[in-house]
Amino acid sequence: MINKRSWVLSLLVVFALLVAACGDGDSGDTTETTAGDSTATTSGGDAPATTSGGTAEEVTLRVLIHQNPAFTEYMDAFNADFEAANPGVTVDMSIVAPGDMATSIQTRLSANDVDVIDYCVAPCAGFSNAIQPYMTGVEKPAWQQLIEANLIMDLTDEPFIQNFDEATVRDAVSFDGKVYGINMGRNAFSGMFTNVDLLAELGVDIPTTWDELIAACDTINASGNACMTQGGGDTWPIFVGSYGLLGAEFPDQAALSEGLWTGAIKWNEGKALETIERFQVYATEMLESGVTGLSHDEATARYAAGDVAFLPTGTWQGANLEGFEPDFEWTYAPFPGSDNAADNQYLFGKYDLSFLIAEDTPNPDVAKAYLAALSDPDNYQAFVDATGFLPTQPTATLDSVLGNAVSPLLANYRNAFEQIWVAPTGAGQWANAWQAAAWFAPYNEWTDAKALADQAQADLEAGLGG
Amino acid sequence: MNKNYLFGSTSGWKRYAPILLLAPGVFLYILIALGPSLATAVYSFTDASGLRGAPVNWIGLDNYDEFLFQGLASRDNIDATLRTLKFSVIVTFVQFTLGLILALLLNQKLRGRTVFRTLFFIPVILGVVIQGLMWKLFLQPRGGPMATMFDWFGAQSEFLGGLPGPAFNWVIVVQIWANVGVTMVIFLAGMQTINTDLYEAARIDGASGWELFRSITWPQLTPAINTNFLLNIVGSLQAWQLFLVLLGYKPGTQVLGYLVFAEGFGQGTSPTFRQGFAAAASIVLFFLVLIIGFVANRYVTWREARYMG
Amino acid sequence: MTSQTNRMAKDMNPDAPRALAEPKSNIVRSRQVKALSYLILSIFSVFYIWPLFMLINTSLKTFTDYLKDPAGLASSPSLANFGDAWELANFPQYMLNSAIYTATATIIFIITSLFVAFPIARGYFKGSGAILTMYVVALFLPPALIPQFQLILNLGLYNSRAGFILLFLINPIGMIILVNYIKSIPKELDESAAVDGAGYITFVTRVIFPLIRPAVATVTVLHAIGIWNELILPTIYLTNEDLYPITRGLIVFEGVYGSNWPGIAAAVLMLMLPILILFMFLQRYIIGGLTAGAVKG
Repeated sequence: MINKRSWVLSLLVVFALLVAACGDGDSGDTTETTAGDSTATTSGGDAPATTSGGTAEEVTLRVLIHQNPAFTEYMDAFNADFEAANPGVTVDMSIVAPGDMATSIQTRLSANDVDVIDYCVAPCAGFSNAIQPYMTGVEKPAWQQLIEANLIMDLTDEPFIQNFDEATVRDAVSFDGKVYGINMGRNAFSGMFTNVDLLAELGVDIPTTWDELIAACDTINASGNACMTQGGGDTWPIFVGSYGLLGAEFPDQAALSEGLWTGAIKWNEGKALETIERFQVYATEMLESGVTGLSHDEATARYAAGDVAFLPTGTWQGANLEGFEPDFEWTYAPFPGSDNAADNQYLFGKYDLSFLIAEDTPNPDVAKAYLAALSDPDNYQAFVDATGFLPTQPTATLDSVLGNAVSPLLANYRNAFEQIWVAPTGAGQWANAWQAAAWFAPYNEWTDAKALADQAQADLEAGLGG
Repeated sequence: MNKNYLFGSTSGWKRYAPILLLAPGVFLYILIALGPSLATAVYSFTDASGLRGAPVNWIGLDNYDEFLFQGLASRDNIDATLRTLKFSVIVTFVQFTLGLILALLLNQKLRGRTVFRTLFFIPVILGVVIQGLMWKLFLQPRGGPMATMFDWFGAQSEFLGGLPGPAFNWVIVVQIWANVGVTMVIFLAGMQTINTDLYEAARIDGASGWELFRSITWPQLTPAINTNFLLNIVGSLQAWQLFLVLLGYKPGTQVLGYLVFAEGFGQGTSPTFRQGFAAAASIVLFFLVLIIGFVANRYVTWREARYMG
Repeated sequence: MTSQTNRMAKDMNPDAPRALAEPKSNIVRSRQVKALSYLILSIFSVFYIWPLFMLINTSLKTFTDYLKDPAGLASSPSLANFGDAWELANFPQYMLNSAIYTATATIIFIITSLFVAFPIARGYFKGSGAILTMYVVALFLPPALIPQFQLILNLGLYNSRAGFILLFLINPIGMIILVNYIKSIPKELDESAAVDGAGYITFVTRVIFPLIRPAVATVTVLHAIGIWNELILPTIYLTNEDLYPITRGLIVFEGVYGSNWPGIAAAVLMLMLPILILFMFLQRYIIGGLTAGAVKG
């Protein structure tokens, strides 16, 4: 009997503990919110960065960012400075894995448990993939859903917005004439890292047309070196590496998207077909064999060893390349995908992470001060130095091997197709033929470019209702 | 209360002790698992995004229509569904058989059996991300161990980075490799309930090893067999993370669980929050499993009736 | 009443009376069986030891060495990654949280489910079959991340230890393992115990619990692993750094375009140790023959 009673009692105790713990969590939340609220009401007004922390109140600013070693390191240092400059403010920064960012933004906003958000939802490209007038029946992009649910603060009139390039503000963080954030940097991925020493040794100039590239590869391969390597084991680097080809063939990427939607461009005709054929040449002839065994980072390490001529991939690998082999001499040149050298001078890429403020933040002024401090030209220069992003402020410069290689091309920077294209609802997977380079054998089952192009067009038309 | 009830006095509150003690477990289960799952089912008839403040509209069967019938996306979705089934059936049967063999071997009095059991269970402890890393290294086409072994036979393969067919098969291998330890442990636990007297008696009658297995071990293991059967089906249907870790997004290899994840949480090429559509996809998967589960359950009931009386 | 059952258990100790009485031909045959068993087990082991070795090998490399030759032997093996992981991933603090979550949730789950599994397996209620079906169906129900999140949020348990633990108080698979295992315990035991006049709780905890230790040990290990290794739920439900479990610390090794795999390998090798010890400890209950044979078929 004693046993029985003690069991019931212990069960009751367990549940009582549970309930008590619930109560704890609840009250903790409430106090935090009230503290925030009171600050918001007392420190009202358009306080600039330096004075916002003048109040003696304790404020906790909740910041959500994605994990990326160089970036998080910068943010830790920045937060310490921000706290020092704004007494009473504590920055509570959560770092989540890049793949969990969308879910985290969704749940943190639902719980009203965040003030500043690093909007880096895959593919981490600012307000990309906007619905264009010619698109019908497609779903709204995630950022538009957030704005229309009144979860994101309108920052149109904030002075710190002026620190950024006009084009960046318009393309990366604006919707319907209003500005919702600051975009912190760009990446380009249509170029290729180019092995200066190897080309010099073989007497090959940096190719500027498709035919020159083919000839260069022949020479390089004949010398026993490899023309190109790639992180084929991760699949996506294969088609990201083919971006320059697509961009060179269609320098106006917005027109390509519209053409595919309206039927003016078909995957299996003309230039689009030629592009897919060239994808195949790039993927099966230019890339060295065995790239399926290399991850993206491993390919960069392999490239740094010096016996591969080109690595067509994103500028984000510049810092790694310098780290692996400081003596290795390289530059970053556009991928010469077109027969016309003039079309091979563009740089395509994406806007990377952007900071937004939650509409319901209890501390709007501190949150704005935080973004203002991030936008401050000196801080921004430090940010660019730390992360290696291509700058989105006119006064900032990227002082590195990569920065020097890329700066003459920045005037020709354009948003890449991936950030523009939205597949029609109901289109099959092959309609995304801008990824087709990764679909040829040995990476996938296609061997005939024309057959693939036909399938791509059929998959596309299935969504267009054609 | 059922008349089978055997314990304590039959009057007063003690009479209700079993049901009172059962209540917390069932309550928690309904609260945390069943309720939210039913909510998901309701979501599937709406355009819910899962965002606070976003309007939710009832759209009937539109999500199902889009998933199953619209354009050629439906072809990809149905392919993914069939692929999920194929994966599940192969994994279930192979993992079941290997787990049983390992359990039979390790239920003997062998020196070092503890080491073997632990070894086969280690992948379960390591989790899916590390399982993926280990096999990416093991299947490294440039000088990895498996490539070397292939080389002995003059064969070559791109393994995970190559054609979707072989890549898919390698995921099957890794899934079985990673989880056969659980199957083994459950069989081993089940084998402890078998009375050793039964074997002694049969041996005296001159029964062979195979006869012992057929007439004693197999029927006596019925509960463990049923458990493993269910466990393997469920485990294989939920294995999409392994695909993500090993193959990433490779056309011709996606399984349904991956689509559900990608649609619901904005992981596609043009990300958007579509909880409603993701819910519809997962309900399709549910019904599919229900059908298989129903068939499996009939078989299991039949077995129980036959062997357990 | 327990004395009788204990005696039954002792009488049936399976390892005691065998070997001596085996005839010679059987000994030869059993040697062959053993040799064959070792052969099969060794072949299997290769596919476990080798990848495990590669994991350990990876953890001894620097990140750069790893990228240059991921599958090759570590040229200058170093334990530096383990020290880095210990600090960077904040092991000391987060490990304690993980231990609290895992222990609390597993213990509560085992206790509550024991009292669900037993009457269901025995069919003591009219709705027993229905409850069991409900659990089986639940195995196949769609994941319900967002509705579950809204539930916890509305209960006011978001970002609290209690809320996080609550998520792990259920485990349909564990329940089904327990139910099926109890089904293999003969009812005669219930009856003899009832004759002894045992109360319900005493019976379940003193008679049934020891008999189903193999199943309880199995479920304990599986449930604990599930909590210990959980990656996504801590990200969603715990935003206060003081509450983070250890898996939350691991993300320092991730990147957008690639991860620091040697660091992750070192961290996970350390992370697995407590569960490995738990498994090795509980293994003797799973297979040890403590209760084995107590059950007449």
